[in-house]
Amino acid sequence: MKIKVWGARGSVPAPGPETVRYGGNTSCVEITLSDGTLLALDAGTGIRSMGLALGERGRRIHILLTHLHMDHIQGLMFFAPAFNPTAEMVIWGPEAPDASLRDRIARYISAPLSPVEVRELPCHVSFNEAPHTEWRIGSATIRAASVTHRGPTLGYRVTEGDVSLCYIPDHEPALGADIERDDPEWISGFELAHGATLLLHDGQYTNAEYPPRVGWGHSKLSDALAFARRVDTGRLVVFHHDPLHTDDFLDALQGGAIERWTELGGDPSQVEFAAERRELVIDRSPT
Amino acid sequence: MPDEQRPVELILARSLIANLTTPGFLVDEEGIVVFFNDAASVILGVRFEEVGRMGPERWATEFGPYDEAGERVPPEQVALAVALREERPTTARYRLRSLNGVDHDIEAAAVPILTMEGTRGAMVFFWPVEES
Repeated sequence: MKIKVWGARGSVPAPGPETVRYGGNTSCVEITLSDGTLLALDAGTGIRSMGLALGERGRRIHILLTHLHMDHIQGLMFFAPAFNPTAEMVIWGPEAPDASLRDRIARYISAPLSPVEVRELPCHVSFNEAPHTEWRIGSATIRAASVTHRGPTLGYRVTEGDVSLCYIPDHEPALGADIERDDPEWISGFELAHGATLLLHDGQYTNAEYPPRVGWGHSKLSDALAFARRVDTGRLVVFHHDPLHTDDFLDALQGGAIERWTELGGDPSQVEFAAERRELVIDRSPT
Repeated sequence: MPDEQRPVELILARSLIANLTTPGFLVDEEGIVVFFNDAASVILGVRFEEVGRMGPERWATEFGPYDEAGERVPPEQVALAVALREERPTTARYRLRSLNGVDHDIEAAAVPILTMEGTRGAMVFFWPVEES
């Protein structure tokens, strides 16, 4: 399974000279399965660059949306395959009681926010509420589960053979829970992430930033580390960087996170902060 | 893993109840009490950690509830059973018997936890209306 990060920023794009290395684009991760099937996890502004880079590979793609906050769908309108009449785009996302996935996405891809309506997209596009049970896409098994965030929000686990990627970019498992001591059954996302080869997880806030933001649906860094330790993941990639965090600031945070991870008994090579254009390959041993 | 992952709605409900001073408990979709808070433990005479999760039969044996005549209310008629079965909030008046033998007249409100994946359980809040 090949992975490429196209956007790791949370909340709002943060372009500028101070965010060049980690990037300013919002959530989007490309996955290429061993059979060539192409997935995108979320459609933040990072998916624009991904679309431009795909070329012919973008003729058929599955987009797995965790939720419909703007930083996870804003790039859809600028995704090149959406405007290719020979391309097929299958969009998956959380169900909600008020409207279908298509109608909720159409609130963004419609006037006055957009000059184009969903029905006018030239590509072949379909919308699917994520099933409650595992399903297949290409050579992978996909699993979705609701996780603690504001509004209907999913985390995804993509499993191919004996490797798995778990993606929970917006997640506050410590909201009202004790990640280190509660039984696993009471920890949001535990089962989804348990034993994953690679975990991409929300770590938006520093411990100092978190208290006035409790309940906003994001994790402080120490909670991301504690969650990763608890679910026994092979590797943690901290994701959804706060737009106020510059490259230098994230460097320092990453250093502290690795130090803390080591104190918790982990291997320092197991932790890194997501950076735009970072490529990873996971097989039996993450590289 | 020791137990199946709880749905996020139940996790959040447990978190809410744990942080309230309103006596309350949480049941899963099968009506099993999976948590009650410290305020409830004052009335019940025991902490959740001491008794653990309880099925409807054990709950009825330990605490009731009872009607005004002192008769045990049939399990299918208690507020949480109605909330789960009919998927609507409901209220009722009962008498609970704590583990230390004290009777409490209480009013209870049961609220089902309905989600896109069906009924996940119910929250039940209760408070004493008159000590007997």
